[in-house]
Amino acid sequence: MSTRGVAYAGEVGFALWRRSLLELARVRGGLLPTTIAPVIFLLGSLGQFGRLDQLVGFPTTSYIAWLMPLSCLQGAGFAGGATGANLARDIEAGWFDRLLSSPAPRPLLIVGPVMAAMTRSLVPMTVILIVGLILGPGLTGGAYGLLMLYLAGVLFSVVAALWGITLALRARSQQVGPLIQNGVFIAVFLSTAYTPLPFLKGWLAVAAPYNPVTYVLQMGRQATVSGIEPSWAHTWPGLLALAGMILFFALLALRQLRRIDL
Amino acid sequence: MTDVALERDLAVQGRVILALAQRALRVQLRRAQFLLPSFLLPLLLLAVVASGTSAAQQLPGFPSTGSYVGFVVSGTIMQGTLLAGLMAGIAIAGDIEGGFFDRLLSAPVHRSSIVLGRVLGTAAIGVAQAVLFLAVAFAIGADFTGGAVGILLTILLAALSASAAAGLGAALALRTGSLSLMQNLFPFVFVLLFTAPAFFPRALLSPVLEKISVVNPLSYVVEGMRAALFDLPALGSVPGGFAAGIGSVVLTSSIAVWAMRSRAET
Repeated sequence: MSTRGVAYAGEVGFALWRRSLLELARVRGGLLPTTIAPVIFLLGSLGQFGRLDQLVGFPTTSYIAWLMPLSCLQGAGFAGGATGANLARDIEAGWFDRLLSSPAPRPLLIVGPVMAAMTRSLVPMTVILIVGLILGPGLTGGAYGLLMLYLAGVLFSVVAALWGITLALRARSQQVGPLIQNGVFIAVFLSTAYTPLPFLKGWLAVAAPYNPVTYVLQMGRQATVSGIEPSWAHTWPGLLALAGMILFFALLALRQLRRIDL
Repeated sequence: MTDVALERDLAVQGRVILALAQRALRVQLRRAQFLLPSFLLPLLLLAVVASGTSAAQQLPGFPSTGSYVGFVVSGTIMQGTLLAGLMAGIAIAGDIEGGFFDRLLSAPVHRSSIVLGRVLGTAAIGVAQAVLFLAVAFAIGADFTGGAVGILLTILLAALSASAAAGLGAALALRTGSLSLMQNLFPFVFVLLFTAPAFFPRALLSPVLEKISVVNPLSYVVEGMRAALFDLPALGSVPGGFAAGIGSVVLTSSIAVWAMRSRAET
């Protein structure tokens, strides 16, 4: 691609990113559901299952430290998934057809919303982190751990956004919204959501090691879980899992985009 | 027969309630967006909680009920009925925005019949949920020592819980009349769920939650289910569960009827 082409692509991507973010200013409380739900899950799960940290061999003495990265990932995932729901609304309203008939290359039409998802994911993650830090023991993983937690969340929002975009392009209806969010919900919970691998029983003990989100959670938990010390060994499996998921869902989204006829 | 006479005829209103309940059931069972949260999501959480937190049985003070899934399935039923109540509210808000509700209001139908129809339909969904969730729990290892009577009492408590949730959902939908607002209430269902001893015994909840759970009527319903399923009075009180359940149904349905009258007047 020529320098002019790159500049044009950047311009289009930036315009679509800005449009997605402008919605937040226009729709009051637009980020509330994606922020409140994970906070409620954080506090509720802490109240219900908080005594699990008393189990012998649990990697932290504070259960909120275990839950906080889970809720951050959940919030980031919901924020990413909302991108798909918004795209479905744009498709129903006919706005997306106008974009398709523009000279902008089609892949760029999903780059803007994905960038917006990454930006939007910072809001729920930061709110959850503040709540968690007020109630919990603090950041045991220091600056490196915190960076890994944010990186895990932001990249997970990309995965969720691509998943949402794929479904929105396929269904072309806002009714797909719950399916997008439930997909995020399921992916996050079929992992080491509540307890580490050695404590899982039955089918989840078999399934969780094969769920890439397990490794993304491990990457994020370097920030708060004292038993998972910040290290490359706890980072690369998460990065690899995220790269794999992003590649997989990006290919699906692009395939779906190519199938759309004007 | 005049409109007023029709509204006062109990047999007519009974048929209206039944017809509206059947409609509510059809709507909820036909659409995936209603079925998914009411049936699939609670089952998923049951599977995750049962496998992911079963190590809790090693904690001192955790009651012995055989398999862990048997203990937590009451919480799953509670979650399902709460979500069914929310779906009922969403369906009502959809009816309001779609104009069907105005047609109901202009018909010679008693206001309370409209609410009771929805509550009855949701109670039937609560029964279906309880049967399904208990069957799944049984299939994956739960042993309900309370026998058939315990299971029947649990199903009745589930129907009451679903009715109370439907009353609350209807009240909120009638008060706000907004579909998007109702859809955004999804996380708040979990506030009601998590402030009751849904998955852990009350004594093992965090101290703050333990105090809050005392004022949540669902605490007594879920403990009543457990006591019935295992025939263990130490887990809760069955009459207490019924008292809390019936009280909640009366309270939330009354609020919904009041909200209905307010909407009809405006």
